[in-house]
Amino acid sequence: MMNTDVAMIMGSNMAENHPIASKWLTRAKEKGALIISCDPRYTRTSSFADIYCKFRSGTDIAFVGGIINYALQNNYIQRDYVVNYTNASFIITNKFSFYDGLFSGYNPNSRAYDKSNWVYVLDAQGNPRKDPTLQHPRCVFQLMKKHYQRYDIDTVCKITGAPRDVYEKVCRHYTSTWASNRVGTWLYAMGSTQHTHGTQNIRTYAMLQLLLGNVGLAGGGINALRGESNVQGSTDMCLLFHILPGYLKSPTINDQTLAQYIRNYTPRTNDPKSANWWGNYSKYIVSLLKAWYGDNATANNDYGYNYLPKRSGDYSHISLFEAIYSEQIKGFIIFGQNPAVGGPNANKERKALDKLDWMVAVDLWETETAAFWKRPGVKPEDINTEVFLLPACSSIEKEGSITNSGRWAQWRYKAVEPVGDSKSDLWILDAIYKSLKKEYEKGGVLPEAITKLHWDYGNGDEIDPHLEPDVHIVAKEFNGYFMKDITVNDRAYKKGEQVPSFSLLRDDGSTCSGNWLYCNSYIGSEKKDNKMARRGKKDAVNKIGLYPEWAWCWPVNRRILYNRASVDLNGRPWSPKRYVIQWNNETKKWEGDVPDGGWAPGDRYPFIMKPDGHAWLWASNLNDGPIPEHYEPLESPIENPMSSQQVNPAIKLWHESNPEGNPVGDSERFPIVGTTYRVSEHWQAGAMTRNLPWLAELVPDVFAELSVELARQKGIKNGDRVIVETARGKMEAYSLVTRRFEPFHVNGKIIHEIGVIWHFGYAALVQGDSANMLTPHVGDANTMIPEYKAFLCNVYKKEGGVA
Amino acid sequence: MKAMLIDATRCIGCRGCQVSCKEWNNLPSEETEFFASKGYQNPRDLSSKTWTLITYNEVKVRNRFDWVFGKLQCFHCNEPACATACPVHALEKTEAGPVVYNASICLGCRYCQLACPFKVPRFEWEKALPKITKCTMCADRVEAGEEPACSKACPTDAIIFGDRETLIVEAEDRIRNNPRGYVHHIYGKNEVGGTCVMHLSNVPFEELSFATDLPEKSLTDFVKHGMQPIPFVLAGLGVALGAISWIVNRRIENKEKLHSEGGQQ
Repeated sequence: MMNTDVAMIMGSNMAENHPIASKWLTRAKEKGALIISCDPRYTRTSSFADIYCKFRSGTDIAFVGGIINYALQNNYIQRDYVVNYTNASFIITNKFSFYDGLFSGYNPNSRAYDKSNWVYVLDAQGNPRKDPTLQHPRCVFQLMKKHYQRYDIDTVCKITGAPRDVYEKVCRHYTSTWASNRVGTWLYAMGSTQHTHGTQNIRTYAMLQLLLGNVGLAGGGINALRGESNVQGSTDMCLLFHILPGYLKSPTINDQTLAQYIRNYTPRTNDPKSANWWGNYSKYIVSLLKAWYGDNATANNDYGYNYLPKRSGDYSHISLFEAIYSEQIKGFIIFGQNPAVGGPNANKERKALDKLDWMVAVDLWETETAAFWKRPGVKPEDINTEVFLLPACSSIEKEGSITNSGRWAQWRYKAVEPVGDSKSDLWILDAIYKSLKKEYEKGGVLPEAITKLHWDYGNGDEIDPHLEPDVHIVAKEFNGYFMKDITVNDRAYKKGEQVPSFSLLRDDGSTCSGNWLYCNSYIGSEKKDNKMARRGKKDAVNKIGLYPEWAWCWPVNRRILYNRASVDLNGRPWSPKRYVIQWNNETKKWEGDVPDGGWAPGDRYPFIMKPDGHAWLWASNLNDGPIPEHYEPLESPIENPMSSQQVNPAIKLWHESNPEGNPVGDSERFPIVGTTYRVSEHWQAGAMTRNLPWLAELVPDVFAELSVELARQKGIKNGDRVIVETARGKMEAYSLVTRRFEPFHVNGKIIHEIGVIWHFGYAALVQGDSANMLTPHVGDANTMIPEYKAFLCNVYKKEGGVA
Repeated sequence: MKAMLIDATRCIGCRGCQVSCKEWNNLPSEETEFFASKGYQNPRDLSSKTWTLITYNEVKVRNRFDWVFGKLQCFHCNEPACATACPVHALEKTEAGPVVYNASICLGCRYCQLACPFKVPRFEWEKALPKITKCTMCADRVEAGEEPACSKACPTDAIIFGDRETLIVEAEDRIRNNPRGYVHHIYGKNEVGGTCVMHLSNVPFEELSFATDLPEKSLTDFVKHGMQPIPFVLAGLGVALGAISWIVNRRIENKEKLHSEGGQQ
């Protein structure tokens, strides 16, 4: 970040929520970088930006689509990069079309697309046909140009409410990074993803960055500022329903055997210049199964693949809670999560918890979720759920790794003893496993999935309250080790020896690795071999702040992904003064960062995780279209000016399939746009901060921020008690009347927006209503991430409620 | 002499400094409600429990709306009027820079409060034997070769700690390198004879509620004249303070009682 020329902060309030990351932008600014903040509200981040541009929540695609159009119309693109490194030149099938908000292949009954209408045209070798002149009318570049022509500045400002002069300035400054020696970085946070078109929001950022040639460079890229300090680590380790560790797919009912599974997920290419890294898929899944089932995993039993559950549908957050609500799920273990505050449509999710037979909550505090049975308005005697609360350690009371958004896995040591009887997550999981194993040894459905697991973390088969499992054994297993003596390239490896790199993982059962991406993080049996614990402070030769000897970064300590895109076809950096890698013609080696594959320049395409080796401006695998199109949020104050498709046509409409508890509001009753956010003083659902007096002192109460104009119209003064209401619920808050929110001029109307912090609930030292009582059960078409950030509401003064 | 330079253009208002101050100095939290002043400010003012405080100032700069954050705390004057005013030398300017306070000899006369041009020292009204409190520039940390807790916690280096002379050069450099980005004044370089806490800002200092009518000359001579009648005053002071303390404590007790009753409803 500190190497950048222009930083765009959109969908992030990094000063408040990622203050440490802000440090690097303030450094860039002092070196002359221009900072742009685009946000519905003037935030503490906007205060350090050079340009602030407001826009209405939920209109990112229009906003960025307009910048894409500006770049394409004015030819502000890094042409060599676009032609050689992206799929801009690829020809698309003539079955593709787009009309009135719909891409070809739409089936209104299933609300799904037939994506075969969007694929590449292949040549005789089976490779995508290309037109490097970018002139073919059906090449991605021309299709994009046509699509985004509709996003001219006037249309964009009409939709987003961005002031025309400021928006134009944003377009001009950000696209200035098309020049090969100028670099722009894009920062967003989870709010950008929390829309019914969240995936496509992020796609617009990525597409623009590719057109400008900003991906893979120092001071470039897309920086996802994650919602929690170890989110990267938890997704790497598969804390989501659709993946296994290392972003392998979770098996579905269509993947009955290991062979089928591998076939379904191993991409193929006939292009010798495509590295197609996922071609190694079988090595990573078999090594994973060996880590899980050890000697019980053999070629004869598909390495234990049959023990894995095969999912038949969507197990994302909203779906789970709908299933709990409709009593399909009766038991619930919840680790460090607080959906009674953080879940969308929290009233419904709280009611869902009432229907459980049992719940085990593992947390540092008794959260709102753990205490759902005694929440305001319910009688504990009416709730039959048996609730267990297991006290967990905080991160400083245990040893282990934490992986930041830059993929650095950093080892941390225990600083203090755990409070009271609290235990580490590892201890709790180990104890649950051992108890489950005892039960399954007596029988049950598919007991082998549990009983055959290789589970030995150093403290025996019995549960010992005073003995921690050895977290180093866990880390070594993630790295992986050889399961038998083998020789590779004349080098002999002994059984039990740590695998030095994922290039040595095999699909014949001779290696194990609990997460192929972490192979190379723990390369020997001693603690000194734990590269995550390294604390070297020397920078790399290119002096761009990579610090390769500090901790360890996946993959194989590569600090900047896709760094082969930071150089031209001859290995010369686009921006030599901050090069990431460069080819040394004398040594025939790369210098700088660990390259994305050591091949000579031009020998392989730089985007090695894609089967075609190119970055995808066009993504035919998404559920809602190969290129982003603007749709309004589920609840919107206006009709979509772009097409007659009001909302993303590929989203699941829960209010139709599961109407109970899922009402949707209209702009007659709820004319105001609502959004939610955080403050630096509180953390997520608040249990960790609302219980700390020093932080409670700073922000003791939930508040709703609204503009001076709206306050005047509603007769609300700063500090009044107000009610914010949506179709799903109402909450009480203090009003914070501020010039930091301003009304938007949208499609000929004045639209007001208000914001509420979502940290509060009925547990902890300081309490207040939860903003998620307002938000709907509806999610993104690809990820099912809930649409927290744009809904319709109303606000009014609470009668007699002046503080 | 050690000092701190606080640059409002780098501050993002995260208040890590405010919390780390309480953490290091073991200061209790204050009971607050909503926000006590502009923006997210809490508590209302410096107090015996709050030695540093971030203020949120909505300012128009060159016709553009801006949100600028100020930091209140003891300025650690080079020639502190508070130390001169103190009849028992409980307050003292150290060679290292911090103005420190010895609670064991403090009479609680509060002359330092009257003398301070920045209105920094605060009184422990809630205690039976109240003392004066204020930021010590973490003199204990400074003595051990560490920087103060607030500057250590600052994520954007808006607060930096170092030798006063070096910091003045640094501040002058910043203004020179970005003349449009700063008010051309180092607040505290010369005010009241110079202070060890200095500020840079992109908006006029009065927008951050800083006193801008202070002389460049130290106030100590002025204070010395004013302090001559002290011995006569001291006699009645103990009685008066005792009475004030009793009244304040009674009010606090009543308020707490009210709170606990409210909680049972």
